[in-house]
Amino acid sequence: MNSAEHIFSTEEKDILQEVMNIAFGQATAELAEVIDIFVILSVPNIKVVKGRDLPNYFINEMDGSNVVNLIEQNFLGKFSGQALLIFPSGAEKELIKLFNQENAEQSYNVDMDTLEQETLVEVGNILIGACIGKITELLSDFVTYDPPRLMIQDLSQSTPAQFPVDEDSFAISIRTVFRFEQQNVEGYLFLITKQRSIQWLKKALQTFLESFM
Amino acid sequence: MLKSLLIVDDSPVARMIMKKCLPAEHGLLIYEAGNGQEGVEQYQTHRPDLTFMDLTMPVMNGFEALDSIRSINPDAVVIVSTADIQEKVIQRVKDLGALYTMKKPPSKKSLAEALERGEEALSRVQQ
Amino acid sequence: MIFAQIFDTINNGLLVIDRDMKVNYWNRWMAMHSGIAADEIVGSSLFSHFPELDQPHFRRNCKSVLQFGNFCYFSQRLHKYLFPMPAPGSLADSFSHMQQSCSMGPLRNANNEVEMLYISVQDVTEVVSYQKKLVAMSNTDQLTGAYNRNYMESHLIREIERSRRYNHGLSLLMIDVDLFKVINDSYGHPCGDYALKTICQRITATIRKSDSLIRYGGDEFCIIMPETTKKDAYKVAHTIRKSICDHPFTFADMTFNTTISIGVANLDQDTDDVESMLKKADEALYTAKQSGRNTVT
Repeated sequence: MNSAEHIFSTEEKDILQEVMNIAFGQATAELAEVIDIFVILSVPNIKVVKGRDLPNYFINEMDGSNVVNLIEQNFLGKFSGQALLIFPSGAEKELIKLFNQENAEQSYNVDMDTLEQETLVEVGNILIGACIGKITELLSDFVTYDPPRLMIQDLSQSTPAQFPVDEDSFAISIRTVFRFEQQNVEGYLFLITKQRSIQWLKKALQTFLESFM
Repeated sequence: MLKSLLIVDDSPVARMIMKKCLPAEHGLLIYEAGNGQEGVEQYQTHRPDLTFMDLTMPVMNGFEALDSIRSINPDAVVIVSTADIQEKVIQRVKDLGALYTMKKPPSKKSLAEALERGEEALSRVQQ
Repeated sequence: MIFAQIFDTINNGLLVIDRDMKVNYWNRWMAMHSGIAADEIVGSSLFSHFPELDQPHFRRNCKSVLQFGNFCYFSQRLHKYLFPMPAPGSLADSFSHMQQSCSMGPLRNANNEVEMLYISVQDVTEVVSYQKKLVAMSNTDQLTGAYNRNYMESHLIREIERSRRYNHGLSLLMIDVDLFKVINDSYGHPCGDYALKTICQRITATIRKSDSLIRYGGDEFCIIMPETTKKDAYKVAHTIRKSICDHPFTFADMTFNTTISIGVANLDQDTDDVESMLKKADEALYTAKQSGRNTVT
């Protein structure tokens, strides 16, 4: 993994970290003030990982979890990649309270399973959109999204997701722990960016810094 | 008259940006700290006129550091600098004695305003 | 020029609303299927014509798109439809409204700020119809039209959970046609099939829409009755039993009588999962058989 360390200079790493800190902070504030979703996002942990090392890296980060709900969403812009949102199994039952859906089963005329799953996807979609939205706003980019997909994965059995990264290329993994305090739900958000975004990202970080000069 | 400034933030880039946003020829003596604990120590040693405080820091976070500094000096002028500017946070730091909360990332304009308000608060204290 | 044409000829609903929920654009597809012309709705609030949309989930998704510039989705699976429109002619019998899959996305101004959002509406009624048919086929017993064993267990699990969640009763009836083998041997298999079909028809006429009749085995049936107390379950069981033994069956030129035995089980503290409910109902059925058949236990 030596070469991964040299993808970014120390200064670039620092700028990237600060941009991500600001983005996640703003996302937290706006989710609360605009959408009434109160979630705490931890200071993001950023790592450059080689494509072939991604599955192992992922397993290590998820240490301890077994069956999880995984939401996968691709995003495309100059900043491109895949967002992975991991909720523990059972979170869907707690998160349904987030939207006060006490009698929703009747009003939606669907079964509880569907309601729980769709609520999870809706929350996940907004959470991912908030984080990526703020990052790209700070770096003067905008992205389009694929619809999110929900999968139930047993992490002890298989490597999660198909990372859209070639074995030999590099990816940046931005990892945050999110926590819905009132519902006592905690999970992970990973943003895996593709190598071709890295070149653009370096330039965008410089531009960001220079905007203050 | 503002003579000295303390910037407490664990991100060297954030501290650099803040310095860059200060008006040219500000003539201020600038101290820096990389975490809440260092921030409190720097405050104790140098007693800066104005302090900028980040909230999410290791070792000791901004809330605790703010509280400590205000205990050391109940008239300390501290401006919180954070990206998470939701009502809950603003109220909390206000209760802890912050002058006000400044949104991250800063700009030349927001820094100019901060210095002005800091100056004002300082003169009120000195009266 | 080209995009304006695409906007109005595309086989999808497209509308554009601003931050105040005012409709800025309304394409021809929307006009055609809603019966609301563009000049009627453009300039007024979306909610003035579609008040049912003024719901937290809709507003939340709009806010998200306007604030963060992401896309939001309204699946048919959860929402069925956003805009009430008639289902396409051939499917109007099976669906009260057109089934829709909708999405919304950001529209930016020259400064790249999100100023408005578009909503895209897709008619998925036909797809949903096929889905339903496929699911029904895999869950249905071809001969009698009752549910099949495939459906039984998952349905029972769901009902047990619902019963616990809302604190309602749940009853299970296990039914066996008495001496069915004799009917087949005496009158032939087609007659036996007819008997089964008719028994199902008579049972269906007696039970509620919320009850599920399942063909469990060759001549075995069960009925899952949600929100039913033990007392009421017994009442229904007796009514069913009588509907079979009190009225003879006629097939071709043959008339014969037949009876059924029924075992009843209730969801309670000791019987609280699929396995124990089936066991209890089975045991009750066995007792009914032992007591001389044409009985409810």
